[in-house]
Amino acid sequence: MDFLFPPETDKWLAVLRIGLGLQVAVYALFLKSDWNYLFARTGSGLVSRELGEAITSFDSRLIPKLGWLVALGGHIGIGEETVLSVAWACLLCAGCCLLLGLFCRPAAIIAWFLHLCAAESGGLLAYGADNFMTIGLFYLMLSPLPDRYSLDHRLVKTKPKDPQLLGFWRRVLQLHLCFVYFFGGLAKCLGSGWWDGTNLWRSMTRPPFNIISPDVLIRFKYLLPILGISICLLELGYVFFIWMKKTGSVWLVCILGMHVAIGLTMGMYLFALVMIVLNLAAFGPDFGSLSLAYRQRFHAVFTKQLTP
Amino acid sequence: MGAKRIYAAWAGVHFFLIAAVCVAGIFSLVADGLTILPSAFDSYARKGELAAASVLGKEMAASNPVRRGIATYLDAAGSQSGYTFFAPNVPGYHRLILELYYHDGRVEYDSPHVSGGAAALRLDSLLDRLAEPGYEPLREVVVKMLAFSVWQEHRDVEKIRAIFGSVNQPGIRDFEHGKRESFQPLFSFDFSLRNKENQSTTR
Repeated sequence: MDFLFPPETDKWLAVLRIGLGLQVAVYALFLKSDWNYLFARTGSGLVSRELGEAITSFDSRLIPKLGWLVALGGHIGIGEETVLSVAWACLLCAGCCLLLGLFCRPAAIIAWFLHLCAAESGGLLAYGADNFMTIGLFYLMLSPLPDRYSLDHRLVKTKPKDPQLLGFWRRVLQLHLCFVYFFGGLAKCLGSGWWDGTNLWRSMTRPPFNIISPDVLIRFKYLLPILGISICLLELGYVFFIWMKKTGSVWLVCILGMHVAIGLTMGMYLFALVMIVLNLAAFGPDFGSLSLAYRQRFHAVFTKQLTP
Repeated sequence: MGAKRIYAAWAGVHFFLIAAVCVAGIFSLVADGLTILPSAFDSYARKGELAAASVLGKEMAASNPVRRGIATYLDAAGSQSGYTFFAPNVPGYHRLILELYYHDGRVEYDSPHVSGGAAALRLDSLLDRLAEPGYEPLREVVVKMLAFSVWQEHRDVEKIRAIFGSVNQPGIRDFEHGKRESFQPLFSFDFSLRNKENQSTTR
């Protein structure tokens, strides 16, 4: 039981809130020009929102979808296009509120709900980043908000949260990431292409991820098998080495480096950002105590030098 | 202490379901023969996949409230699918080429498009999904919708032939020897937009 309830401060929660706020805002801004086109009904958009919703409804009718909001808008005489635009604006606002720490809990719930609606209605168009955003927002909305760095805390002096409850939600996030990397790494290890570099070549030369020209990539062809094996071992070993004091920070830096590289070399910015945020919140250093430690060390060295 | 037990019980159920989803995903890859494991494992993996799926209630009737409850919860938590991105191997990619036939005999080529890069990533993901056997029943209707989205920008088009195919990427050695990607049509659909008739052919 103690493993599930380690006492924690709320710094990790502030990282998660600010990071996901940024993620939601960037997600909304990236899709701004295509939002209505992606989620319009049959005949007015790219593919029908209704088709995606029908597929989702096959699993369960209770899964939130944009069609609910459109139907609700229809009852009060608001057109589909307006409802979709309002949903987009609300999502952006929720992201900004999370970023600032204003109305944290309602903002987290609204962001989770609207993003889930969009991900489920556009199920045919969804990809990995959507799953991780839902995971992050799901945990954020259940966590003991607001944290002490939020505007909510400054405006309305809230009581400090139970450190064990804060520890519980961080532990849940940590365990979830271990599942993600262990099964992701295991699946990669089972493919021949990750051992000889073929998969890295294929992933980086296929559109829309072909940001680096194959002519440049070919110069590093001997590095590809090493990088491929490193990714497998990094993901598979995450579940063990991230917990150890000696290896934890090294593993975290390597995983963050991998996601930065995915973002920059393959253009998967949203995917990279959400993974970085989740990792930093789950296993990131205690930034406050770290800066305090550095200040103390700097102070000690500085006073020692000044002492004759 | 009571609240702690409730939290712990929730965490146990939560991670049990996530583990079942992940294990089902791994077993599915092995059962489909996509991994480096010998084919002798395939039948065992299929049994394992079915066992994991039954834990998730997928063997129950579609209307069963337990099955629906689990599906709703997993979707709400973002854990309805495993984490086998780009695994075990990176799949090939696909293209949809639209041949636009005008009244005056002109033929132009176009593809479905969106404005932003983030949406383009989603469109590519949709095209890759269409090639999967599980999406076969939806293929024609989705291609028709994509063709229709292009037709809205070219209202004087009489007929659209949609050609869906995979793009074969050259390997590292082939690329060094000058080989470049090639398009292999998988199937095509003809949509006649004036009289609302359509025909499809599979190659």
